[in-house]
Amino acid sequence: MLYLRIIFLLQSVENPASQEADKINRLFNYFNVAAAGMLLLVGFLIVYICVKFRQRKGDTNTPISTKQNKKLELFMIGGPFLLLVFFFYQTVTVMNSVSPSQDPKGKHPDVIITGHQWWWQVEYPNAKVITANEVHLPVGKPLLLEMRSADVIHDWWVPELGNKMDLIPGNKNYLLLNINKTGSYIGACSEFCGAQHAWMRIHVIAQTQTDFNNWLAENGKSARQPHDSLAITGALLFQTKTCANCHRIQGTAATSNAGPDLTHLAERDELLTGLMANDSANLFKWVDQPQEVKPGAHMPDFKFKKDTVNAIVHYLLELK
Amino acid sequence: MNESIEIPEPTTHFPGIGVSTDQGLLQWISSVDHKMIGIMYLLMASLFFLLGGVEALLMRIQLAIPDNHFLGPETYNQFFTMHGTTMVFLVGMPAVLGFSVYFSPLMIGANEMAFPRMNSFSLWISFFGGCLLYFSFLAGGAPDVGWFNYAPLSEKNFSISQGIDYYSLGLLLSGIGSVSTAINLIVTIINYRIASLALNRLPLFVWMVFVNSFLIIAAFPSLNAALAMLLLDRQFHAHFFNTMNGGSALLWQHLFWIFGHPEVYILILPSFGILSEVFQVYSRKPIFGYAFVAASSVAIALLAFGVWAHHMFAVGMGNTVNAFFSAGSMLIGIPTGVKIFNWLATMYGGKIQFTNSMLFAIAFLFEFTIGGLTGIAFSIVPIDWQLTDTYFVVAHLHYVLIGGTFFGLFAGLFYWFPKMTGRKLDEKSGRWFFWLFVIGFNATFFVQHILGIIGMPRRVYTYPNLPWYGILNMVSTAGAFMMGASVLLLFYMILKGVRRGKEVGSDPWDAFTLEWYTQSPPPLKNFDDVPAINSPLPLWQLKYGSNSKNNEDEKGQ
Amino acid sequence: MMKLVVGTEAMFFISLIMAFVYMAYNSGFEPYQVKALDIKTTGIFTLFLFASSFTFWRAEKNYRKGKINNLKTWLIATIILGSIFLFGQGKEYWRLVQDNITLNGSVFGTSFYTLTGFHGFHVFVGLIILLIILIMSFLGDFDKENSTVVSTVGIYWHFVDVVWVFVFTVVYVLPKFTNT
Repeated sequence: MLYLRIIFLLQSVENPASQEADKINRLFNYFNVAAAGMLLLVGFLIVYICVKFRQRKGDTNTPISTKQNKKLELFMIGGPFLLLVFFFYQTVTVMNSVSPSQDPKGKHPDVIITGHQWWWQVEYPNAKVITANEVHLPVGKPLLLEMRSADVIHDWWVPELGNKMDLIPGNKNYLLLNINKTGSYIGACSEFCGAQHAWMRIHVIAQTQTDFNNWLAENGKSARQPHDSLAITGALLFQTKTCANCHRIQGTAATSNAGPDLTHLAERDELLTGLMANDSANLFKWVDQPQEVKPGAHMPDFKFKKDTVNAIVHYLLELK
Repeated sequence: MNESIEIPEPTTHFPGIGVSTDQGLLQWISSVDHKMIGIMYLLMASLFFLLGGVEALLMRIQLAIPDNHFLGPETYNQFFTMHGTTMVFLVGMPAVLGFSVYFSPLMIGANEMAFPRMNSFSLWISFFGGCLLYFSFLAGGAPDVGWFNYAPLSEKNFSISQGIDYYSLGLLLSGIGSVSTAINLIVTIINYRIASLALNRLPLFVWMVFVNSFLIIAAFPSLNAALAMLLLDRQFHAHFFNTMNGGSALLWQHLFWIFGHPEVYILILPSFGILSEVFQVYSRKPIFGYAFVAASSVAIALLAFGVWAHHMFAVGMGNTVNAFFSAGSMLIGIPTGVKIFNWLATMYGGKIQFTNSMLFAIAFLFEFTIGGLTGIAFSIVPIDWQLTDTYFVVAHLHYVLIGGTFFGLFAGLFYWFPKMTGRKLDEKSGRWFFWLFVIGFNATFFVQHILGIIGMPRRVYTYPNLPWYGILNMVSTAGAFMMGASVLLLFYMILKGVRRGKEVGSDPWDAFTLEWYTQSPPPLKNFDDVPAINSPLPLWQLKYGSNSKNNEDEKGQ
Repeated sequence: MMKLVVGTEAMFFISLIMAFVYMAYNSGFEPYQVKALDIKTTGIFTLFLFASSFTFWRAEKNYRKGKINNLKTWLIATIILGSIFLFGQGKEYWRLVQDNITLNGSVFGTSFYTLTGFHGFHVFVGLIILLIILIMSFLGDFDKENSTVVSTVGIYWHFVDVVWVFVFTVVYVLPKFTNT
């Protein structure tokens, strides 16, 4: 059975954790108030009118004519119009303060995120670090994220951190993030991108600047060398059984980014972009029968012998 | 005063709703009579409604609990795609066109539509398009990329199965049917009105159908162009949307939504028309603000082409572009939404009769307001940036499409069933249907607003066991089954009504428009003669005298 | 009715032209592709298409006056001129394909062939319709001047012409003078 280690956070639009999300949340709450008011008004009118003007028994069917009431019509149109003017003003203000221009000229992103079917490639260009799926970010400073896609349209959305942004093949999009507090934030790909769109989850870990710097430094290092014989076997199998053709492990001959980078796989909390917890049982299931675990994923069923799988898994779990 | 249009047709007895005619089924299939074609459109809509509904229920079973394995991703993705495509193109369009084609000629005193054979052609090509789309299930898989079929996921290298080709061809054919019906309707309304009826005195339903037809003619070509380009890409390796070869993923989105947004107005305008008629009849009062309601449809039609990119706020078009479309989207909310107040004002001071038709109309007021308000939420770009592509959108679209379009169609069904069949639907069963459906509908979709806010994206075949996700989805599934049960009741009611409903005369509701002037059901030749009237409520004048002041007598109408 | 048909088809061509222009600015066309278009030859064939609109106008005028023989003559002229235009299009396509500009070779090829191709297809359908009414005129269907068929077909044929004005401008003329 697939078991997911649950992160019990109410990842919600109403739980803003970044400056951008704060601003959007405030606007959303204004809207909720106005909309609730409007709905109550309509609801009240419906009930009142239905009760007061229901046809009584014995009443004739003769229809009642009415007079025009241009003033009332004007009020009916004017009122909502004024409300909309207010919200349009808010729209433009919040939009401009939350989102950077989308012109790639002169942009130096802190993180480049490339969407793949069905995982996230994460690069930190300044530190020359490439990793996958788990995104670490420092809190308390404005960050520029660049969004790209390697195949189809994906969408980045972490509700607590603010607005979403599409990842469009052939384009570069930009997202601004200024995270308020440290913590673990979850989100999901929000543009249907194929069979396993449902399991293209997002996991952001926001850390203090110091912690983040440490993490970045660790991830910049090449992979740990295997020490025990099983791991050494696993490392060799990784190269010879074509894993290296898709998965990068820094410091080895494997440099491809067709599949997620595995250099520090053992450090991550989850596997398969949020599908399951990162432990040996789950990793074994995946390497053994990928199409059973995440049907449609681009990793084929290699039909390895169980010993082969064992060795590879053992090796990978040493890659801290 | 006798004004009628002589049509060289046999004035024999109209076959009625049963198939026990001289030629049985053949008479139906070969019919060019607008009434029979209208009924066949409604039957087509009902058939696909069942199919689309089954798809929805299967989806809801899969989503009832987290991490479910009832349906695999490939199957689920086909179902959600087909559900959306079916409901929009094979249920919504035929239902709307069915009522339009049946009642527009009657309400303007015409005996037939301008192009009866093209009418029949439109029906059958639409039906064939639908069949072609469903054939894909047998031909390697239905389309599985969503009803708006974004590129480059829809390209051959990401979607090998032929489902998308069937989607493109099926929609091209159905689209041809819709456009030709629209042309037919426009020519009929312009040329076949009785001479005394001016265009600015059309009954509101006819007015909405008229404007709607222009919308159809203007919007569908964009979809056709996009589908043609997609087929060229997939079959002849062209590079419209193939980003790896210089194509543009966004081009598809623009072309699709230039069609897609007007399409939703195409689906709602006729319901607005039906509701306008229904509110007048069952409040015993003329509409408040005829001119505004009629003019609002024109405003919507024009604005509809200036708001499409609000479906694309998250693609990075830049804030200037976003602001423009945001303004347009807010503006269009006014002619759309203020009508709620017009209808309320119509009821105010009247004598309200709570027939089943009126119940749906009143429920519409509340449900469509909810849907409209969430729509305004989306026009506010930063809110859209949080909530687009989540279950909040799913909630919004179902509130406007079911709470709006479908409630209007149900109101029309209960209102016009006696006219179409000569029998009434059972009022009591109708009440049961109403309450079951409305409660089920709200249970299904209201909780989806919350699911969107707490982070559930749309088009996911399953979801992790996050707090509240399981419970809310379970409630939604329960509601869906309630809706399903009520629909079964509806079909039973209709069958029973057709066979054993209480028989009625030409005007059971004491209504105000011309279709009630002829028999129920109308004979093959609708009218022998028609009084020379010039009012949106012609029978009011006839029955209650032209002394009674109603809106038409006022200046400025 | 034909005006409505023309209206809907106009929207269709607007979508195709939009796609062409979008491609030009989005991914851009290669200069050698734009240069490969032969504006002079196509321009001459364009004149044939315009001439066919003129001849059809004459045909309609004669029909109104009841001169059926003239109607037939002018119709034949229209069909011939329209066919020459299509022949010219075919020649242009052939030459471009020899130069390796194909539908699936580049974004330019994709948008060029689609836009001009659909236009050519509409011309072709128009020619068939013209042939039909020519045959009808020979069968005596137009001996009385109270049919609207001729003027209806005229709306369609002139529309096809007008569309070509826009397509020719956007595809042949504008790229020569702007740096797309």
